Amino acid sequence: MSPVIEAEGLGISFRRNRARNQRLRDVARGRTTSRKGEFWALRDITLQVGAGEAVGLVGGNGQGKSTLLKLIAGVLLPDEGRLKVHGGVAPLIEVTGGFVGDLTARDNIWLTAGLHGLSRRQIARRFDEIVDFAEVGDFLDTPFRHFSSGMKVRLGFSVVTTLDEPIVLVDEVLAVGDRAFREKCYGRMSDLLSGGRTLFLVSHNEADLRRFCTRGLYLKAGSLVVDGPLEDALTTYRADVGRRRKKRKAAAAQDPATGEAQAGEQRRPGEQRPGEQQPGEQQRPGEQRPGEQQRPGEQQRPGEQQRPGEPAG
Amino acid sequence: MVALVDPTTRLGTLWQNRRVLQLLISRDLKVKYASSALGYVWTILDPLMMAFVYWFVFTKLMERAIGEDPYVVFLLCAMLPWQWANGVLRGSMRALSKDAKLVRSTSLPREIWVLRTVGSKFAEFLFAIPVLAAFAVFTGAQLHWQVVYFPLAAGIQAVLLTGAGLALAPLATLYGDVQRLMRIVLRLLFYFSPILYGINDIATRFDKEVAGVSIADVYAFVNPFAGIFDLYRMAFFPDQWVGWSAVLFSAVFSVVMLFVGIRVFRRFEGPVLKEI
Repeated sequence: MSPVIEAEGLGISFRRNRARNQRLRDVARGRTTSRKGEFWALRDITLQVGAGEAVGLVGGNGQGKSTLLKLIAGVLLPDEGRLKVHGGVAPLIEVTGGFVGDLTARDNIWLTAGLHGLSRRQIARRFDEIVDFAEVGDFLDTPFRHFSSGMKVRLGFSVVTTLDEPIVLVDEVLAVGDRAFREKCYGRMSDLLSGGRTLFLVSHNEADLRRFCTRGLYLKAGSLVVDGPLEDALTTYRADVGRRRKKRKAAAAQDPATGEAQAGEQRRPGEQRPGEQQPGEQQRPGEQRPGEQQRPGEQQRPGEQQRPGEPAG
Repeated sequence: MVALVDPTTRLGTLWQNRRVLQLLISRDLKVKYASSALGYVWTILDPLMMAFVYWFVFTKLMERAIGEDPYVVFLLCAMLPWQWANGVLRGSMRALSKDAKLVRSTSLPREIWVLRTVGSKFAEFLFAIPVLAAFAVFTGAQLHWQVVYFPLAAGIQAVLLTGAGLALAPLATLYGDVQRLMRIVLRLLFYFSPILYGINDIATRFDKEVAGVSIADVYAFVNPFAGIFDLYRMAFFPDQWVGWSAVLFSAVFSVVMLFVGIRVFRRFEGPVLKEI
């Protein structure tokens, strides 16, 4: 298998004192070694990903998952090390980012698809498909800013997944849509994978990860702790979360203030989005949430769920 | 042409994405002209009002001692390209932050966001030229064969603006002071450039020499816009022409600016992406 992504000693640092945007602050929450207000969101990341692999990124908030995806997408540049990405990338990161609020959905589809490199003819051919999948047919001439957040994400997902790029990056998009749409997204992602695409998936939902990914990367405080079968990454992550929770409980018993401060690391149960699984929670093998049930017509890829370690497709 | 450009270089990827550039520019124009009722009027209103004010002040209130008749045409010859320059220099400072979401969500070569500013402002410049033509007809100004130098002047200016834009875009995004500084610089540059007057006026007013170089040459050698505007003006006022040396200087300065711009842009690209 020839590698499509090669990273060697990859690192990127941010400055702590100038948090101009929200996401920077998220990253800043990860406790990394700091020197002169500088901290490394990622460091010493060395990995190779082959064509057709499905990689799941595991780790708490602010540990570098999204930053790694952005580096691969080429929308951030590394400060250290080398990164080679062979072939184009379809980034499902900030899917709604490319859209302009004042333009209509129709104009936005043309613009965004064009920006991602589709030619006029290609867009014309795929236009109806994009609209159908996003279920925005009745709102084509509505300015994008009037769209509901669900519609925005649907349209974004729909446009980006129609790109022909061999590498697909998915960052927590699936958590936003409603159940029915999520099912459609699963279908689309399965199609992409069986079409030989390379997939990167960031999710806090273990079922989603298991469904698509065979290989797992566990990122903790900017370094790659586990690179192996998905189950290994998940197990290590769960163990870490459990240990931290215990520590926090102990700390909270002694000093309530410290316990509160540490809670920023991980989402508290109350903040959880509905339907999302908490990382620490075990999922029993036979258990499946109702939304994930396979519809009769939908095909399940072999090796999709229970066989970790085996290459996808 | 396509085969000549190596797709692995920056220039190559830019060339590959020329359709995207086209798309961005046409979208800018669409937004500008389709979204407001007055559309086209807005493009020409600003230079028109400015030209009117200066025309009134310099020919009606005062005895015109600079430039040449018809003064409105003389003014617009440099005022319109100045609008282009002004638009690009201001626009490029926001080129990366204005559409931060687009910049962040696509892996296009980032120079494209500056080129897009240069391109769409150039299109506006072209759209404003009929106004100049109308005034030329109305005032009976004579068009000379030197109008063929227009593409050369526009070409040098495009290189200069691209270079300056590439340097300004990341610097202004990283350092807020740059925008404030540039606001002052641009205002000074307007009066310091041969817009209200010509290089010829400098030459006739200050006919002294400093170390063997005339004041007019010194003037033209300090301001790269001097040679460019002078070249545009040749179309209507060939006798205002002060010679090729100013143009040559503008061309050399522009090319150097382009390379400086490219270097600065590359140097700060990473930090800028973290900030937007």
